[in-house]
Amino acid sequence: MSTFNTNTALMAEQVLDLVMSAGATGDLIIDEGETISLKAREGELEEYKVSSSRIFGLRVIKDGHIGTAYSEAVDADALKSLVGQALNNASFVKVESHENILPNSNQLVTNDELLCPKEQVSIDQKIQMALEIESKLNAKDKVKNVPYNGVQDIFSQRHIFSSAGLNALTRSRMCASYAYALVEDGEKTAMQGTSQVSRLFSGLNASIVIDKTYEKCIGLLDGKPIPSKHYDVIFDKECQVSVFGVFSMMFSGKTAKDGINPMRDKVGSLIADSRLTIYDHPLNGDGFGYHLFDAEGTATQKSKLVVEGCLQTLIHNSATASYFDTNTTGHASRGPKSTLGVNLHQVEIAQGSEDLLTLQSGEYLEVTDLAGLHSGANAISGNFSFGASGYLCKNGERIQAVRGITVAGNFYEMLNKIAMIGNQQSWDEGRSALMPSIRFSDVAISG
Amino acid sequence: MLNSQIAESVIDHALSLGADFAELFVEKNETNVVSTLSNEVQSVESGINFGIGLRLVYGTKVLYGYTNKADLDELLRIASVLAAKDLRDPVNTTKSFNFNQITDIHPARKILSIDAEIESKVAYLMAADRAARAAGEKISQTRGSCMQREQRVEIFNSDGLHTNDGRNYIRANLTAIASDGGEQATGSWNDGGLLGWEIEAGINPQQTGEAAARQALVNLTAKPCPSGRMPVIIGNGFGGVIFHEACGHLLETTSVAKKASVFHDQMGEMIASSIVNAVDDGTMANEWGSINIDDEGMPTQRTQLIKDGQLTNFLVDRIGAQQTGFARSGSGRRESYKFAPASRMRNTFIEPGDANFDDMVASIDRGIYASHMGGGSVQPGTGEFNFSVTEGYYIENGKIQYPVKAATLISTGPKVLKEISMIGRDFSLACGMCGSISGAVPTTVGQATLKVDDILVGGNA
Repeated sequence: MSTFNTNTALMAEQVLDLVMSAGATGDLIIDEGETISLKAREGELEEYKVSSSRIFGLRVIKDGHIGTAYSEAVDADALKSLVGQALNNASFVKVESHENILPNSNQLVTNDELLCPKEQVSIDQKIQMALEIESKLNAKDKVKNVPYNGVQDIFSQRHIFSSAGLNALTRSRMCASYAYALVEDGEKTAMQGTSQVSRLFSGLNASIVIDKTYEKCIGLLDGKPIPSKHYDVIFDKECQVSVFGVFSMMFSGKTAKDGINPMRDKVGSLIADSRLTIYDHPLNGDGFGYHLFDAEGTATQKSKLVVEGCLQTLIHNSATASYFDTNTTGHASRGPKSTLGVNLHQVEIAQGSEDLLTLQSGEYLEVTDLAGLHSGANAISGNFSFGASGYLCKNGERIQAVRGITVAGNFYEMLNKIAMIGNQQSWDEGRSALMPSIRFSDVAISG
Repeated sequence: MLNSQIAESVIDHALSLGADFAELFVEKNETNVVSTLSNEVQSVESGINFGIGLRLVYGTKVLYGYTNKADLDELLRIASVLAAKDLRDPVNTTKSFNFNQITDIHPARKILSIDAEIESKVAYLMAADRAARAAGEKISQTRGSCMQREQRVEIFNSDGLHTNDGRNYIRANLTAIASDGGEQATGSWNDGGLLGWEIEAGINPQQTGEAAARQALVNLTAKPCPSGRMPVIIGNGFGGVIFHEACGHLLETTSVAKKASVFHDQMGEMIASSIVNAVDDGTMANEWGSINIDDEGMPTQRTQLIKDGQLTNFLVDRIGAQQTGFARSGSGRRESYKFAPASRMRNTFIEPGDANFDDMVASIDRGIYASHMGGGSVQPGTGEFNFSVTEGYYIENGKIQYPVKAATLISTGPKVLKEISMIGRDFSLACGMCGSISGAVPTTVGQATLKVDDILVGGNA
């Protein structure tokens, strides 16, 4: 982070002085980042990308009207224009009496040792890993090529200032490696991939990406559709986290306020199988969803969202909390380019009681790949229909690779069709959520 | 936006470090978004993106860096960092910049830097909201937005190219939500183009509101979709997303050069039914996916991809041309200065045929009419794709029976192209955003209503 501008606090002060001199309040997010990204092709480095970026995002509130503006240009004229634009935008927007700048003058800094550890690592070591992943995968039987692969080292910093005196700083680092390989055997082809993340480059292991990617590709090479009917389904960790993520709007106080959250009137009601308990746990430092504070500088905490099937709360920022006459849950979200919203930080589903043997008893479909997640789901109605691949299994053994099928249903109904919950939690590849395996019953599969 | 002397110094420096080719892509991008929730303005957001992307090419290796700073020292630093592992004696020298003034074939009048016209946009969205809610008491809410963007780019390269372009984007959309007890369904409509707010004269808020409401109300009554393999009629306009996903991505040299496309070795071969003619055309006046020049500075063109079922061209950028030997097609595009360019689609469509819609329906014993499509994705290496259907109907015994919900179409690109058996006359285009290796770029899809004989329909009936 050596190239980051040391005048950040001074510039923020200048911006917020302009805001306050216009009779408004406001907060300013300054995001800065540095990234190295490497890709390999046929044993050579194909792409080497370095970047540094900075963006200012301002929210102003004047007479109950809220306006936002952002800028990547940060000279004095640009910053003056930023304030002018935000104030002008606010003049067109309805009065929002529930949204205010919190009277929060805390000075907050996250722990660099936890989130942004330093290490001695050369660019040559990173290049070496990119080349190793691509070339070793390429050398394996039936691998035609590895068209998508890479190693990344990403530093990011977010600084939040407000006219109330908030000064909150978080720095984080993420190292990642990934590969997607194309395997071919006669007319049959398959392309699959995996990724890995760590706070330290030394936490990455090329062999894991190589072996997992190859295993996934070869496993699905002989895949074919299965007869259309309703099956028990176990999503693998990536798919399960993705499906819960697609429907995470169900917890949003913002969409409830906007009238489109189907769970709006269901707090305190049973919405899921009584064995299902869901938390948001932003303070688990093992995950990349760690947040010490939210976008308003409110301290986060472990929140109970669903306990034994009963919806406990929606997630709130100060504005949605005010609207529903409750307290913020520390879930305010805002980027430099966006308005105030809410977001889950790091979902955790409590472990169930079933051991692996029981969870995998009898016939079930293990879904290892879902396609069309962004287009095949309607979070308002809960309806979904995704392309899928995986394995037809019996008593834990994969008996047939399956491709060219769809999995369809209604997510909110599916929460009540849980057959079993496993007794072991694990992270997804991106370490964004911690969940046990869940076996859903009676899921419509078309093949 | 960038002083030519600074550009020349940076490119000279890059070539002195042994690069075969060096390029600067300078971008300033202003955006304004007006959002409404029913009859209230929810937010107005605006901002400026500015940055410079520096690309160095050694052989076919691409080194790319970007910064928000336009000063010489920072750009020289990035060039040095990028080239540090590839230093060699110079192999090329900079040619003098020869400024190329482009011909603007997509003129715009009411552009963002003149006036954001926020009052007028709010009035349009409010009128669309009123029209939607007047369409039925079950319309509980609308969400509208109007996005306007003015992108200015300037490109310098070591071949002596110096050019610039201004691109003006406008897009308005409305989503209606219909509610009946605990059931909710959505419908949407959008318009857009490569022009300014003068688009207002050609779009009608009454039609926008009614169209979104109609779809939401249809979907509210939809039944679970039957599943299995069956013939499918795919509607015009955004139905063209099927070609975009199933074929277009596989014809980009980004995947062809890596042999990550099933079509990489099929130039000149029959890859589609003989009634299929497909085009990618950046020259269509003021269309959403059009450009004057691509993001490598090459004038855009119309590229015939498939002629009578035969593969005739790929979409080729500079690096793709180097890697495959095919001529550049003015298809090098990127979301912003943060991305190196890659071969991408522009306005991509299947040309119209002469089939009659009623004949298509009558030819089906059991199938689906997917009148409006949502998004989808494709795996280039295998051609496997999926699309969601946002408005669909079940067909039985040659007649449309009832609306269906939560349907997905699954197949592979090579297979579905050969299964197209009838193409109608009702050609239209629709705009969308396409995400790929060089970010999200505006693209148009299009077709007339067409029939695919065999496709897997996923539903939960």
